[in-house]
Amino acid sequence: MNKRQVDIAVIGGGPAGLAAALKAKQEGFEKVVLIERDKELGGILNQCIHDGFGLIRFGKQLSGCEYAQRYVSMVKESGVEIYTDTMVLEITKDKEVYSVNQQEGAVCWQAGAIILAMGCRERTRPQVGILGTRPSGVLTAGAVQKYINIQGFLPGKKAVILGSGDIGLIMARRMTLEHMEVEGVYEVMPNPGGLRRNLEQCLNDYHIPLHLSTTVVRVHGKKSLEGVTVAKVDENRKPIPETERYIPCDLLVLSVGLIPENELSKQAGILLSPVTKGPVVDQNMMTSVDGIFAAGNVSAVFDLVDYVSKTGEAAALGAAAYLRASEKEKGKPVPVEAGENIAFTLPETVEPKDGKVTFYMRVKKSMEHPEISLTCDGKTIKTQKLLVAHPPEMISMTVDWKEEYTGKLVMEGREV
Amino acid sequence: MTGINDLFLQEMEKLSLDPASVQLTWQDDILILSGCLKCWQQVVDVGHMAAKLPGVKKLVNHLTSEDAPKKEKRDISTYYDKDEIDRADVVIIGAGVTGCGIARQLSKYNLDILVLEKEEDISCGTTKCNNGMIHSGYDSKHGSLKAQMNVKGNAMYSQWAEELHFAFHRTGSFVLAFDEKEREVLRYYLENGTKNGVPGIAILSGDEARKIEPNISDDAVEALWTPSAGYVEPYEVALALMENAIDNGVRLRLDCEILDIQKEEKKAVTLITSQGKIHCQYLINAAGLYSDEIAAMLDDEFFTIHPRRGTLVIYDKENKGKIHTFSGQAPGAYSKGGGPQETPEGTLLFGPSAKEVPEKDNLAVDQDDLDFVINKGMYLVKNIDRNTLITFFGGNRAATYHEDFIIQCSEKVENVIHAAGIQSPGLASSPAIAERVEQLFLTLKPDVTKKEDYNPIRREKKPFRFCTMEERDALIKENPLYGRIICRCETVPEGEIVDAIHGKVPARNIDAVKRRTRAGMGRCQGGFCQAKVLEILARELGMEETEVTLKGKGSNILKERTRQVEEDE
Repeated sequence: MNKRQVDIAVIGGGPAGLAAALKAKQEGFEKVVLIERDKELGGILNQCIHDGFGLIRFGKQLSGCEYAQRYVSMVKESGVEIYTDTMVLEITKDKEVYSVNQQEGAVCWQAGAIILAMGCRERTRPQVGILGTRPSGVLTAGAVQKYINIQGFLPGKKAVILGSGDIGLIMARRMTLEHMEVEGVYEVMPNPGGLRRNLEQCLNDYHIPLHLSTTVVRVHGKKSLEGVTVAKVDENRKPIPETERYIPCDLLVLSVGLIPENELSKQAGILLSPVTKGPVVDQNMMTSVDGIFAAGNVSAVFDLVDYVSKTGEAAALGAAAYLRASEKEKGKPVPVEAGENIAFTLPETVEPKDGKVTFYMRVKKSMEHPEISLTCDGKTIKTQKLLVAHPPEMISMTVDWKEEYTGKLVMEGREV
Repeated sequence: MTGINDLFLQEMEKLSLDPASVQLTWQDDILILSGCLKCWQQVVDVGHMAAKLPGVKKLVNHLTSEDAPKKEKRDISTYYDKDEIDRADVVIIGAGVTGCGIARQLSKYNLDILVLEKEEDISCGTTKCNNGMIHSGYDSKHGSLKAQMNVKGNAMYSQWAEELHFAFHRTGSFVLAFDEKEREVLRYYLENGTKNGVPGIAILSGDEARKIEPNISDDAVEALWTPSAGYVEPYEVALALMENAIDNGVRLRLDCEILDIQKEEKKAVTLITSQGKIHCQYLINAAGLYSDEIAAMLDDEFFTIHPRRGTLVIYDKENKGKIHTFSGQAPGAYSKGGGPQETPEGTLLFGPSAKEVPEKDNLAVDQDDLDFVINKGMYLVKNIDRNTLITFFGGNRAATYHEDFIIQCSEKVENVIHAAGIQSPGLASSPAIAERVEQLFLTLKPDVTKKEDYNPIRREKKPFRFCTMEERDALIKENPLYGRIICRCETVPEGEIVDAIHGKVPARNIDAVKRRTRAGMGRCQGGFCQAKVLEILARELGMEETEVTLKGKGSNILKERTRQVEEDE
């Protein structure tokens, strides 16, 4: 088996990995490798032919493919070593990365630092407990998007969508544009799961109904999908039998949540957060294992790709600093508590040193005119006022960090 | 016969059912029930009750119920005009573990053997959806054919696994007791199991059991221990058997449904199938859930299969090592003893439940079954996170009303052997069933000779997921298709998928590829790899992507190309 030494190995060539590899190279490291399992760089962005990407990063509305291509071009010019169609099967605490591909077989990369950028995966039908048979015609939204946009096929003629997350909304519009009938979008929660702009542009503009507090309880059809039963749910999200309704359809699209993809992280013994399901990281995006960093959706599921790229850059800068620094003066990371109305913050810990720290967070409930504040031992470090905050929409807040912030750190959100 | 009628009326009253709703008729020594009841469970209750009446050795239950879906009559008249497409010395109907086992057992003789399977793959009935348990045989009633086949079959599994190279873990099993009543049940099983000849059977204290299996519930006070129990991946066993049978000359026709059987002079001669006519000299009925319908086609209907559905739940491999040994609870009336166990792949399996259902091909999962299986599993063992559930599914057992196996030569058709009513513990019994059918066959055709070149060994490549990195490197150098990983949850390379598609028993749909390679069986449930597997299937089989199915005819995944209309214009 081939063995190679590299400075930084980036695993995953989606937006987080692309940004991380590019930044690592710009930091002056000679050997930066980017390992991507698919045939092309770009990750899931390649199947996102709709616009809405890049407003923050490039100041312009781009399609997912365009956004990816901008990075791909920069990465290709930068001198990053790119390995596509290459799958990482194992990583170790000692920063060995084992990959396989057709040309070279198995390769062991001994890296100075690793940046994990494997993205996330979709929750599945059994995980949301839909009963009934197991026919064809039940697909996750991402799979439907791939079949339609990449492979050029329609997986049905009449669709029911479960889940009002962004991919579900985007696919409602996309399928309508492909002359499929979208019967409706069903959401088990009392509030929509996707961005407000997507509710407007993908559902309302096309008169596609959104049924809140309603879910799909059962799938019918022995070989292929014949229909689904939907029902309203009570406050405990339990279906109410009297409200059951049968809808004939040949496609059930599931947009029921994303989970960070951390199989490799687990192999290396990296500590995962039970809330984000991603590695616990500090402001440099370093995980609990020294020299292994996380970027993008592998660390927590983001709503905007621009933020994903930013965390990639932060991870690359973190890796660069890690490689340059000698073992000395690394402070013990201090945890940041997600306080009132805050679901989680990323990073979850901060290494005490001066500099800028950008936090990404989600709120637990919708708030009008909220104030997001970070306190250290009860003293406010920073407050940020917002017009509105919704759980599906991530909030970012940059703080001028001081080394002395080593007390009890709490992030809170309150309506004022 | 009047005695039986009176007893029947008494029993109907006990069930609070109107005796007039059921008609009893005798045809020779076969009792036939007909009529219509309110619900399906009543149909099954009456069937079970009638089968227990003294002197009732054969029971056909034609009762229907108001809540059961009506069976549509199929017009098969055109199939009688089709040409003869094949002939064989022995035709085996059904390619589940029973049919595959029999095919391999008979493949050592100089016979032209043809296996017919109505589905697009083998092991698509009861075999693909059970818990893979190789029961020790403590629970089957002493004196039953089940008990005899189970204990014998269990002992034969080591040799099968060795010759056929499938995963078999002989871990032992526990039946847990939580109170005095359940302890009594364990005593009964100890006695029954001892009579059945279950090796090493013993009752352990709860603490002794927890020494072997630390995650058994702290509330379990006693456990019945049978060290001979084990588990397999059932579809892997069927595949191994069929591949070895094919190596020894057996032929397999998939997608070939039997619609009728024509007889001449008390012999089954011509099978009317969905593909055409097939001529046979001997016929073996291993049709599982449909074995009663095959018997009816032979005018030899003397039993009825009533499907009993089990629901199974699979938890993520991250639970690997938590439960080494099957840890169940004393079975209820009919095969409801399921509990937590680890599959050979290291996933955790709960179940099965048991529910009588009217439809043989309806594997739907209901909320009550799912809750039952999950809650029971969580009660029996500890330290399992409910959120690690990755999938659940149903399977139907092929039960008769006497709840025993039927493995015998037909009394009415001279060249037919029935291997029917093979429900739990059919998988465990399958080696003994195959051997018994072989013995029966030799009584029908004593002059058959053995092949000189019979080879009982099936070679199997070590799966990529179990290889070391060095081994993987070597595999890829040999065949670059092993360097492209298609399923990331289960680490399945393209090479293994292509091998499966072109295997001895070819995988022709997404689920068939899944059963052979595990692609799509992991935590993302095919979310990432299904599109890739679909592409590979289309490429390798030379078909359109829209023709690729999930599980055979009528389960296509893609309906049409995008913007078909514009393209056509």
